[in-house]
Amino acid sequence: MNVDHITFDNVSRFYGEVLGVNRVTLSIPPGITSLVGPNGSGKTTLLNLMSGLIHPTEGTIHVLGIEPRDPRKMFRAVGYSTQFDSFPRGTTGRQFIYSFLRLFGYPSATASTMTAEALDMVHLTDAADRKIAGYSKGMRQRVKLAQAIAHDPQVLVLDEPLNGLDPLVRAETLNLFRKYASQGRHVFVSTHILHEVDMISDQFILMSNGYVVAEGQIQDVRSEIRDHPMQVTIRCKQPHGLASKVFEMDHVVEVRLHPDGKGVLVLTRAADLFYRQLNHIAMEDFGIESIAPADDTVKSVYEYLIGEDSAR
Amino acid sequence: MMEKPAISELWSQLIAVVRIELTKTFFARRSIWIYLLALLPVSLFYINSIYAKREHERLARIAVDHSVGRDAIRSIRRGSTLQQVVQTVGEPYRKNSREFWMGRPPQRHERVTYYYTDGEVDFTFFFNDGVLQGTGRSGVRQSLPQFLLVFASVYQLYFIRLAIFFGCAGIFTNLFRGEMLDKSLHFYLLAPIPRPVLVAGKYLAGLFATAIIFSASTALQFYALLRGFDSVTVHEYLQRDGWHHIAAYMGISMLACAAYGSIFLAAGLIAKNPAVIAALLLLWESVNAFIPGSLKMASVVFYLQSLCPIEPPPDVNIPPALLALVAPAGRVGTFTGIAVMAALSVLVLAASGFLSRRLEINYSAD
Repeated sequence: MNVDHITFDNVSRFYGEVLGVNRVTLSIPPGITSLVGPNGSGKTTLLNLMSGLIHPTEGTIHVLGIEPRDPRKMFRAVGYSTQFDSFPRGTTGRQFIYSFLRLFGYPSATASTMTAEALDMVHLTDAADRKIAGYSKGMRQRVKLAQAIAHDPQVLVLDEPLNGLDPLVRAETLNLFRKYASQGRHVFVSTHILHEVDMISDQFILMSNGYVVAEGQIQDVRSEIRDHPMQVTIRCKQPHGLASKVFEMDHVVEVRLHPDGKGVLVLTRAADLFYRQLNHIAMEDFGIESIAPADDTVKSVYEYLIGEDSAR
Repeated sequence: MMEKPAISELWSQLIAVVRIELTKTFFARRSIWIYLLALLPVSLFYINSIYAKREHERLARIAVDHSVGRDAIRSIRRGSTLQQVVQTVGEPYRKNSREFWMGRPPQRHERVTYYYTDGEVDFTFFFNDGVLQGTGRSGVRQSLPQFLLVFASVYQLYFIRLAIFFGCAGIFTNLFRGEMLDKSLHFYLLAPIPRPVLVAGKYLAGLFATAIIFSASTALQFYALLRGFDSVTVHEYLQRDGWHHIAAYMGISMLACAAYGSIFLAAGLIAKNPAVIAALLLLWESVNAFIPGSLKMASVVFYLQSLCPIEPPPDVNIPPALLALVAPAGRVGTFTGIAVMAALSVLVLAASGFLSRRLEINYSAD
């Protein structure tokens, strides 16, 4: 068993007759892992299974070698910010985090210090002594995040953590995730904001109808999708010449001139071969300035595998 | 293989749960009705004691100038004339009269009411046309033993069966089910706290709260009851049985909270609608008086009633045939009563701890 991975071994979960997730097998290394998929695809079920809030109907789960049924070990290693937007009645942000930390068995002084640090990390110190019931959506998201990070966990599980955050706080939160990941920790994020997934993810998991449709690094997943030709954008000074040249290649199925007239979009069924051949073409005088894949994004993969309508 | 946690860690986690839950239970707005349930008999006894004391003082004041011997009053017979009554017991301290018409043709009549007192009881004589038609007595100062019987009846019929029952139902079922409905239970389950410790902590908090509320109410009921009597009577009672009675009833209240609490906590843990379980239990506990002797022992209220030091007077409304059918099972000893209630609480709590390991957060299904 890999003790620095999160592993799902043939995990299924049914709610009576209704499928939650089915035959999920994953081995997730440290770093930022994004979980994407349409509503009802099983993302939250997967997170709840991982954290022991629900139990699998079949299969086994280990988080850093710990079984989720062992909360004593599990939640010293895992911090989970759930999607539930509800809190114990009448508590302030500070009381909420402090009470949570006392449940770990921390002495009062230690819990107070850790509470202050967690609230500071999510920039909620000023509002710490106000009742959570009066918080905005973004503040409630931040206090949930503070609760998840307060005990300095090795694995951070976050269900839609960016919902309701303003752009500045969103950027700071993403930086926090990057910082955690750079320390060799797991940051497991369920989100539907796909362009942010591209920005931060080391790997991603795509779910649909309870099944894992794809998982791994985005470029690897994209290269496996053979039904859709790879798209490559080439910025150059002589797009017409370049277009006719690349169109001679057998594997190139389409070449489009860029609307600004300063480049072309090439659709190829053999990306590796195309890049090799492009090295020779680059020697000719087309004034090539940049070459970049145009569709190895989570959004593109999502569209290809799930469907355009579901991508948001 | 799971490592065994340190006792000190479990202890501090248990204390943390108790603290959080106590704050919620004691100061929650939804607990107000439980305080009202507990304070209702206190207020009734208190109001009664105030009334009885004032009435006694009023009659004693009147008796200073218009004192009448009880024997003299008893010697007066119906049919006596107004003059004969005045000759025997003197002028009343108060009288009133009114005229009325009756018969065919209508004839004028006069009804006169005379009031006498011996300083403790208010006697009323009703005269029609100067002839005594009837007597009445009010402001009867009940004796302490009579009052204790009233207390015993109120305690068994209202306090245990309704106040403590519903109070415990309100507090203990909410410990889990209330948080499921509030969608806030998951915060507990995201902490590294073994589920049985969470169950124990919540139970202790509920027990602490209900035991304080209802045993304090029991003590206050005694206070309210006794303040209607003079200090000598109260002192004598306390020296004889009083402290034992107070301690016993407070203990029974705590035991009732422990037993009902464990059942309602389990109900809140396993049932989506614990009110159904509470209703069934209430039905079973209510028909306890009407079921055959040995079956009575399968109810909480049987043991609690067995422990009560004062037996209330029998219910005169039960037909004799039914009374014979539902012959009482007899009282169990104090030790047995306490042991059975404690064992029930521990067993149900242990079962709840075991079941809590399977607890899942699925708010949409709740």
